[in-house]
Amino acid sequence: MKLARWVADFSVHRRGVVVGVTLLATLAVGLVAALPSIWPSAFPGLHGVAVDTDPENMLSEDEASRVFHREMRELFTLHDIVVVGVVDEENPDGVFNTQALANVHDLAAFAATLRWEDDAGEEEGVVGVDLLAPSTVDNISQGGLGSVRFEWLMPQPPATREEALAVRDKALDLPFLNGTLVSEDGQALALYVPLTDKHLSYRVGSELRERIATYEGSEQYHITGLPIAEDTFGVEMFIQMAVSAPVAMLVIFLLMLWFFRRIALVLGPMIIAMVSVILTMGALIAAGHPVHIMSSMIPIFIMPIAVLDSVHVLSEFFDRYQATRDRKRTIRTVMDELFTPMIYTSLTSAAGFASLALTPIPPVQVFGVFVAIGILTAWLLTILFIPAYVMFLPQRMFEGFGASHGEEGASWTSRFLRGIGPLTARAAKPIVALALVALAVAAWGISRIEINDNPVKWFAPGHEIRVADRVLNDHFGGTYMAYLSLTAEEEEWDTEVFAQRLDERLQGAAAELVEDGFPELTVGFDELRPKVVETAQGADSAPAALDILDALVVERLEGAEGDAFDSWDEVGTALSAERQRDQVFKDPALLAWVVGLQAHLKQSGLVGKSSSIADVVQTVHRELFLGEPEQYRIPDSSAAVAQCLITYQSSHRPDDLWHFVTPSYRNASLWLQLTSGDNRDMVAVHEAVEAYVATTPAPVGLRHEWFGLTHINVVWQDKMVAGMLDALGGAFLVVLILMAALFRSFLWGLLAMVPLTLTIAIVYGVVGLVGKPYDMPVAVLSSLALGLAVDFAIHLLARARRVREEVGSWREALPVIFDEPARAIARNVVVIAVGFLPLLFAPLVPYQTVGVLLAAILGVSGLATLLLLPAVIGLAERWLFRSAAAAPAPATDEV
Amino acid sequence: MRRHLATLLFAATLAAPIFAQEEASAAEPTVDKIVAEANRVSYYQGRDGRSQVKMVIVDAQGRERVREMTILRRDEPKPGGAEEGAQGKPDDSYAGEQQFYVRFSRPADVDKTTFLVWKKPGEDDDRWLYLPALDLVKRVSSADKRSSFVGSHFFYEDVSGRHIAADAHELVETSKTYYVVESKPKDEGSVEFSSYKMWIHRGSMLVVKVEFRDKQGEVYRTYDALAVEKIQGYQTVTKAKMTDLRTKGHTTVTYSDVAYDLGLPEEIFTERYLRRAPRKWMR
Repeated sequence: MKLARWVADFSVHRRGVVVGVTLLATLAVGLVAALPSIWPSAFPGLHGVAVDTDPENMLSEDEASRVFHREMRELFTLHDIVVVGVVDEENPDGVFNTQALANVHDLAAFAATLRWEDDAGEEEGVVGVDLLAPSTVDNISQGGLGSVRFEWLMPQPPATREEALAVRDKALDLPFLNGTLVSEDGQALALYVPLTDKHLSYRVGSELRERIATYEGSEQYHITGLPIAEDTFGVEMFIQMAVSAPVAMLVIFLLMLWFFRRIALVLGPMIIAMVSVILTMGALIAAGHPVHIMSSMIPIFIMPIAVLDSVHVLSEFFDRYQATRDRKRTIRTVMDELFTPMIYTSLTSAAGFASLALTPIPPVQVFGVFVAIGILTAWLLTILFIPAYVMFLPQRMFEGFGASHGEEGASWTSRFLRGIGPLTARAAKPIVALALVALAVAAWGISRIEINDNPVKWFAPGHEIRVADRVLNDHFGGTYMAYLSLTAEEEEWDTEVFAQRLDERLQGAAAELVEDGFPELTVGFDELRPKVVETAQGADSAPAALDILDALVVERLEGAEGDAFDSWDEVGTALSAERQRDQVFKDPALLAWVVGLQAHLKQSGLVGKSSSIADVVQTVHRELFLGEPEQYRIPDSSAAVAQCLITYQSSHRPDDLWHFVTPSYRNASLWLQLTSGDNRDMVAVHEAVEAYVATTPAPVGLRHEWFGLTHINVVWQDKMVAGMLDALGGAFLVVLILMAALFRSFLWGLLAMVPLTLTIAIVYGVVGLVGKPYDMPVAVLSSLALGLAVDFAIHLLARARRVREEVGSWREALPVIFDEPARAIARNVVVIAVGFLPLLFAPLVPYQTVGVLLAAILGVSGLATLLLLPAVIGLAERWLFRSAAAAPAPATDEV
Repeated sequence: MRRHLATLLFAATLAAPIFAQEEASAAEPTVDKIVAEANRVSYYQGRDGRSQVKMVIVDAQGRERVREMTILRRDEPKPGGAEEGAQGKPDDSYAGEQQFYVRFSRPADVDKTTFLVWKKPGEDDDRWLYLPALDLVKRVSSADKRSSFVGSHFFYEDVSGRHIAADAHELVETSKTYYVVESKPKDEGSVEFSSYKMWIHRGSMLVVKVEFRDKQGEVYRTYDALAVEKIQGYQTVTKAKMTDLRTKGHTTVTYSDVAYDLGLPEEIFTERYLRRAPRKWMR
C-alpha cells in the first residue's frame, strides 16, 4: 500500500525530524498549559488549569432546572449546608451529656467565625445567621403563669445531667427541630452549617475537623452533606489521578516488558501514551476547559487506546524481525500490514467518543471530543513516531531479539492460541449457540438495569463520608435535602370581577359595622363604593387599583376627626384585607393541603422528615394554647394564621420564616429530608408527590416544581442516560458505515459489529444482573467498549480476509490467523485489562468501576473476537468469501 | 442600643428639655450621667405619650413588609413624687417603671393585635399579647428581651429600653457635637453583642447612632436616627432605621401624630383593654 509505505519510509528516513517535532510539540503544548497554571499573572492571555468538581455542571449554566434552582435558592435564601452529626454510642444519654454539649456549643461558635474574604474582597464562608445548632435556635415553650416563652434552646452549655437532658427534651418537643437538630431517638444531634458557596465545604469541613480534634469526650463527629461529598470527591479525584494513572502506566509497562523483553522497545508505546496524554490534556487546558470529574478521566481512557496500536505494531515487528533481521524491511512490512486496520480502529474509537458530543451534557461533550482528539493523536504518533523510534535504537539492541515462534520457542500464549484456532472450526456451532444464549441472558440483564446514581456513593463504603452518611441517616430524618417549590398561579386581571367582589366585601364590612352598633362609621364605605368600578377600569392590576383607593383613604383621613376618621380607618382596613386576599399561604385550607402532602410523603417511607410553614403555624398554635398536643393544628382563619406567624417572628430568628414562604405568601418551599441520596429514591419521591397532587387537588391554583441538589442530580442523570443512548446509537451507525466501507461489504461490516455488540450486551447485562446501578462511569464506558471491541475485530477480520485469499480456505487460514494476529490481540487484552486493575484499589468508586468494566470489556471483546468471529466466518465461509470474491482486491490494500 | 431603638419608637414621645442640663457643660458630666440622661430623653420624655408608628421592614432582596400600630406610653408616677405631677410640673428626672400599649392596625390580618408591656428596669418585664383572630390573651415570658419585635430588625429591648445598669459604660470621645459612649455588657452570656457604641447628641442628648459589635469585634448592627422634631418642647426622633449588616435587611420606623402629656389613665394599661381598644386615646 502506497501511503503506508510512504509513511514508513518517511518516518524511517526522517526519524530525527519526527522525533524532534514530537518532543518540541509536546514541550510547547505542555508549557502553554503549565506556565499560566503556575504563574497566572505572568501569562494573562493563556488559560491555566481550572478545576471544576461540581456535578451540577453536568448541566449547562443556563439549563432550565439550574436556573430555577438558583432562583428558588435566592427567593427563599437557602444555602448549601455542611452537616455535622454528633453521636455518642457509649453514653446512655447519647450526646446529651454535659461534656459533649459543651463541645457542641464551642463548635457552633467556632463555625460562625469561619468567614474570610474571597478574591474579589467579598466576604464568604459560613452564614452565621442561618447556622442551626442548639445554641443558635429558639425554643418555644410554656413559661410560668400560662405564658408562652421564646428563648435560646441552649444559650450556655448545661452544667448538670438534668439540664443536658432538658435540652434534648425541649428540642424533641419542637417538630421543626425533632429529626433535624435532634435525632428522633434522642441520642444524636446535628449542626447545619450553611455556606455562601458550596465550594467552600471542603475548607470549612477541614477547619471543623481540626477544631473537633481538640475535644476530649466520648462523642464522635461525622461531617457530611452533599456539598461536602462533592467537594471532597473533587479533591480526592486529583490525588487519585496522580496515583492511579501512573500506577496503571507502570503496570502496563511491566507487562509489555514481559512480552517484549526489551526496555527500549517497550518505552516506545509508553512515550506515545504519555505524549498523547500531555498533548490532549494540554490542549484541553489551553482551550480554557476546566478539568471536570469527567475530563479527569481522559488520561485513563487515552492510555490503553494509545498503547493499543503501538502494541500491534511492536507485536508484529517482534514476530517478524527474526525472519529478516532487517529493521527497515520489517517496519515496512509491518506498516503495510497494519496501516489500514490502524486507521480504521482509530477512526472508529474516535467516532465512538466523538459521538458523546451529541449528549446534552457539557462535561461529557468535552470529554468525548478530547478523548477522540487523543486517540487520533496517538494514531498519528504510532505511525510516525514508532518506526522512527525503532530506527533510533542501536543495532545491538536487536541482537537475539524477537522470539521465533517455531516449535521450540513457543510460549504458552502461542500454544494456547494455536489450540483455539481449530477449536473454533470444530465447535463453531456450539460457540455461536453459546453466544446467542449469552446475548439472550444479557438482554434480560439489560432489562433489569437500574438507573441510579448518588454522589455520596462515589466514595468507597469505608470512606468517612460514607460512614457519616450511614450513621447520620440512621439516627435522623435524613441528610439529603430536596425542596418542593409551591407557587400560586397568577390570576388574570379582570376589572369586572375585581370590582364586583370588592364592592361585595366593602358592603359586607359596612354591614358588619352596623351590626356591631356603629352605623355612623359607614360613611366612608358609602363614599368609596361608587368609585370602585371606575378605579378598576383605570388600573392594570389589583394592587394598582388598591393603591388608588388607598390614596383616597389617606386623603380623607388627613385632618378628619371623630367618626369620619374612624370610618375611613375602617375602610383602610378593609382595603388592606383585600390586598391580603392573594396571600394564599395564610389560607387554612391550603395549609391543610400542605399538611396532607407532608403526611403522604412521610407515609411513603421515602421521606424521613419534611418541614414547611404549616409546621411553624401548628407549633406556634400549640404553644399559644398551653402546649396541648391536640392544639397542634392549623387555626381556622387566615388572620389567625397571620397572628401565629407574627408571634413566631417575635423570636431570635424571625427570618427563618422566609426559608419556607415568601413575604408575599404566594410562594412556599417544602423541605424534604431524604435518608437516601439515590436518584431512584428522589424519583420515587417525585412520583409520590404527583400521586398526591393527582388525587388531592390543592384548594387554589398551584404550580409545584422541584429544586435542590438531590433533584438536580436526577435531572442530569436523566439527560445523561437519554444522551448516552443517542450517542451509542449514533456511534454504532457511524462504526457500521466505516466497517462497511473498510471491507467494502455490508456483510463484513455487520460481522465486524458482532464482537462489540456482544461485548456491550454482556457487560451491561451483567451490570443489570448483579444490580450495579447504571451511573455516570458505567454510562460513559459504553463508548469505550464500542471503540475497543471493534478494534480487535478489525485487526482479526482484515487479516482473516487477506490470509483466506492467500491460502484459499478458511481451515488452512486458521493456523496463520491464530499465530501472530491472535497473539497481538491477546497481548492487548492482557496488557490493558491487567494494566487497569490498580484502579480497583482506588478509594473512589467511579475509578473502581472503570477498572472493573475495562477489564470486563477487554476480556469479553477479546473472547468474542477470537472465538466467535472465526466460528461465524467458518460457518458462513461460503457467503462471506463469495461476496468478497466479487472484489478480488480487498480494500485493505488500497486505502 | 435600647436607647437607639427606644429612641426610634418611643423616644419621640418623651423628649424632655434635656438641654436644660446641657448648659452645665463647663463641668464635663460623668459617663453614667450622660447615659442616664440619654436613656431618659429616649424613653421618658413627658409623663406619657402617644404615637402612630409605621414600620417598614425591608429584606436583602428589597421585599417590604409594612406594619402600622399605635403606641401609648405612660410612666409610673415617681414614688412619693406624685404631688409634683399634680402641680403640673412634670418630673423629668424619672426613669423607672413605665407601661406601653401597642396596638396593630395594619396589615388587616393582624388588625387589633395588641401588646401590653409593664417595664421594670432591672428585672423581667411583664408582657401580654392579645391575638384577636384566636380570641386569645396570653402572657408572654420576657426573660430574653433581645428577640425580634414582630419580625422587624428592632428588638423588644430596642423598643422598651435596655436597663442602663446592665452595661458598663465608657466615654470614649467627646466631640463638639457628640458624646461617644462605648458600653460593654456586664453579663456577656446574656446578650449576642460584645459592645456597642452610641453617638449622643450633646444638644438634645438624643442617641443619633449606635453600632453593635459581635463577639469577633465586627460591627453587625447599626441604628440611625433619621429625623428629629421638637414636639411640645420635647426633642423627638420621628424617623429611625435599624440595619442588620449580616442579613443586609433593615427596618425603618416613622412616628407621626406624636403627642405628650395626654394624661393617659392607668387603667388603659391593663389586660382589660387588650380586647377593646381605648378608642378615645388612640388618636
